[in-house]
Amino acid sequence: MSFFGFDSTLPRDRGHNTRAPGFSQAADPFAGPRPEDDDDALDFEDTYDGLGDQLDETDDVFNDDTFGDDAGPVTKKPVGKDFDFFGQTAKVSDAINEEQLRFSRQAPSSRGPPTTSTFPQPLPKPARTGYERYQEPDYVPDMQVDANLWGVAPKRPAQASDFGSPMNPGIPSGARKMMSLEEVEASMRAQAKKPAQPQQPIQQQQSAPQQYTQPPQQQYHDYPPQHQQQQFSQPQQLPFQSSGPPREEARPAHVGQPHQPVQIMQRSQPTPNQPIAPTAPSQPTQILQNPNRYSAEQRRSAPAVQHPVQHPVHQSRPSGSRHIITHPQQLANLSDEERAAFLMEDAKRAKRNHKIFLLSKDNGLMTPQDKNFITRIQLQQLVTATGNPNEHGSDPSLSEDFYYQVHNQIRGGPRQHPGQPLSNFAQTYLFQTGGRHGGMRRQARGGDNHMQRMEQQVQRAVEAAKNKPKNKQLVIEGSLGKISFSNAKTPKPLLNIKRTDSAADAHRPSKAHQVGVSGSDRKTVLTDIENVYSTLMQLEDHERLMPPPLDNDDINPELAGFHIDWREKEEKLNRKLWRDLKVHEPIGATTTHPFIAFLSFSKGKKCIPRVFRHITQEQRTTILTIIVIHLDQLDVVRQGLLQPGEVQLNSATRENIELFSLAVMHTLFGYLNEAGLDIVTGLLGLILNINIDVIARTRIGVSMLTMLLSRAELIKQAGSNEREWDQWVGIYNAFFDALEPTLPNIFPGTVNTGEDVYVWQFLAAIGIGASPEQQQRLVMAVKDRVMETVAHAKTLPTAMSGQRLANVNLFMRSIGLDVELLA
Amino acid sequence: MLFFSFFKTLVDHEVTVELKNDIQIKGTLKSVDQYLNIKLDDIQVVEELKYPHLSSVKNVFIRGSVVRYVHLPGGAVDTALLEDATRREAAQQAQKTK
Repeated sequence: MSFFGFDSTLPRDRGHNTRAPGFSQAADPFAGPRPEDDDDALDFEDTYDGLGDQLDETDDVFNDDTFGDDAGPVTKKPVGKDFDFFGQTAKVSDAINEEQLRFSRQAPSSRGPPTTSTFPQPLPKPARTGYERYQEPDYVPDMQVDANLWGVAPKRPAQASDFGSPMNPGIPSGARKMMSLEEVEASMRAQAKKPAQPQQPIQQQQSAPQQYTQPPQQQYHDYPPQHQQQQFSQPQQLPFQSSGPPREEARPAHVGQPHQPVQIMQRSQPTPNQPIAPTAPSQPTQILQNPNRYSAEQRRSAPAVQHPVQHPVHQSRPSGSRHIITHPQQLANLSDEERAAFLMEDAKRAKRNHKIFLLSKDNGLMTPQDKNFITRIQLQQLVTATGNPNEHGSDPSLSEDFYYQVHNQIRGGPRQHPGQPLSNFAQTYLFQTGGRHGGMRRQARGGDNHMQRMEQQVQRAVEAAKNKPKNKQLVIEGSLGKISFSNAKTPKPLLNIKRTDSAADAHRPSKAHQVGVSGSDRKTVLTDIENVYSTLMQLEDHERLMPPPLDNDDINPELAGFHIDWREKEEKLNRKLWRDLKVHEPIGATTTHPFIAFLSFSKGKKCIPRVFRHITQEQRTTILTIIVIHLDQLDVVRQGLLQPGEVQLNSATRENIELFSLAVMHTLFGYLNEAGLDIVTGLLGLILNINIDVIARTRIGVSMLTMLLSRAELIKQAGSNEREWDQWVGIYNAFFDALEPTLPNIFPGTVNTGEDVYVWQFLAAIGIGASPEQQQRLVMAVKDRVMETVAHAKTLPTAMSGQRLANVNLFMRSIGLDVELLA
Repeated sequence: MLFFSFFKTLVDHEVTVELKNDIQIKGTLKSVDQYLNIKLDDIQVVEELKYPHLSSVKNVFIRGSVVRYVHLPGGAVDTALLEDATRREAAQQAQKTK
């Protein structure tokens, strides 16, 4: 079919270009349609084979002889039609078609490259930026989609053949119809006529609209991968091909334009050798989607070219460009400036889309179900990390986060679990630490709310998860292995040493035995204290679990059962606590009674208020009794004595005394305020048996005595029975007699220290209960100190002196006197 | 969890964190996590002359493992409660190992 001996096939039919990426290779989106090996049969520069150079140009004068006159070879001489090979070829086009199809079916792979070339291929330019196209004045961005971009496997030849087969030749070829081979040849002829003319006049396109039908079809067979591309490009051409009128309308706009938009478009479409880049920009949204889906869609729509709307929709870009150019013709209408701007923008877009393309390689790798699944696993991990099933406490979150939660409650933070009876914890620690941090308690703590709500939520999730059977491994359905967790709280144990219970048990009794024997060495006492604390905490925990109060009317057997169980447990714990306190150890069996040793540690002192909340009235009395009996043995009393020459106790002792009065005395005082006169009398009687001299010279001792005396006075004023009162008076008299020798020495230090308030209080307490005779003796005993203090007060500033005098007055008034009388 | 629980109560208090490289950073504790990573705000390096490169730093995130000491604000610590919390923790540990 090659008339002149050169290959009549179009460049795209020449088989796979070695420079073009293979099917499996990712297309270079930047490559752009390469003008030099484009389907540029129409471009003179590209197609000119240089044969003209070999012509003898000198004998132009004979041209007329050779070709006839000006009328032109085509019209005048039939001979001139010799090169019109299409005319010849068209006659056998059907046969060619069939041959082609058969050939492609027979040996799709063994097909060699065409031997000859109609249009000598220009040498490939070595280095390309990919942007050359944008420099061309008449560049129109290619609006087609290159399927290779999405890594879509090229269609099989068999599939491809469907398109090209005679069964439905109308679809693909129809799409290609607008620029036919005839047209191409016509233009070639025109070029041959005016070789210097770089661009064709518009009318030439018009003149040859009937051709080009067949070669594209061949193309389909020869070059299956192009199908995708062809399909994409079809709709673009639709406006031209499907309807004549619009085309005609568009035409006038082109007249006078220095380039040929239609042809350009044409040229850029069937680029066989290049999986073109500029196509990418036209489908930015699709890039992000599942490529398969997209190509499927394309495949579906391909046979039904009747949807011309579809592609313009794809092509409308949501970019910020001023002109949304969906149609190359629009570009033609733009001014140079605008076009330049547009091209710039397009280049930018191309760059951006390339980036997106690179990033979007793995898009759609995970389905939503996959993601959900991962999320579930993560949530499960979270749950295992937060909760520990084998907590002894009923309230795992509390045992985990005890300090924070209770602390927050004490310091006025918002309640974390509304309705949770945590308040007794708060009370425990609130009361215990007294007013020490009072100022900070009411501190507002904003910003926690959100966190806490979140924590609450997580907690609920954890709770829900715990209701399910617990296992430390995750067995995913259908998986082959197990995933065992380790988290921050329960790391995978490297060593798992099981201590045998028997060994532990064997060890313990001996220890307990030791305790009984050795009594009160430091370590034992500390252990005792810890035991008390742990029992206390159990009691406190237990208290929180108290079932709701019973209704008198309606007896709920289940609830009553709970109550009985609860009380039983309570009693058990109480007995345990009592044992731990060791109050009932025999007095005198050891050098120091265990309970007194207990009180010599600050944490032992601190636990007394808490203990008192959980023990019965008799137990409280017992404790008070034990303390009173051993009053002179208490560390705070023994160390509370000022040695001769000492002005002040050392700071550690003072701290101890402070703590004792705050923790223990305060508690005892609270108890004593409810005690009857008989108990007070009994206690005072006990004190008579011990070293009153020592007691009366220490602050704690004096406080204790003051406590007893003032309580007796209060009971007297409230009215008490005669017999008890007589008993009390008897004891009191004995006590006064015992105390009298010590009275001058009960003041700590000198007058200057001013730390004698409690002594004045004590004297006042004695004075109130004393008979007139006793009062006189009392005044005699402390007269010097009174005078000294009054005299000293005069030297002090008003505020301080007033304070001192008021202290003295406490005593003076109790015996019916006043400092004013002394002044 | 005790330390985590404890440090949570110190949020918004001023603490001084001493790192294992001897830098002491004073700042407001903003948050702490289970690894005892610490976030401090409005920081100030105690020996600023020695570490001038930190003088323009306003807030820091400290990995828990590089902390040597945290100097606590005494007023913000409830000792009795902390003691009990410690006892609870110890009891739990004892139960776990059993």
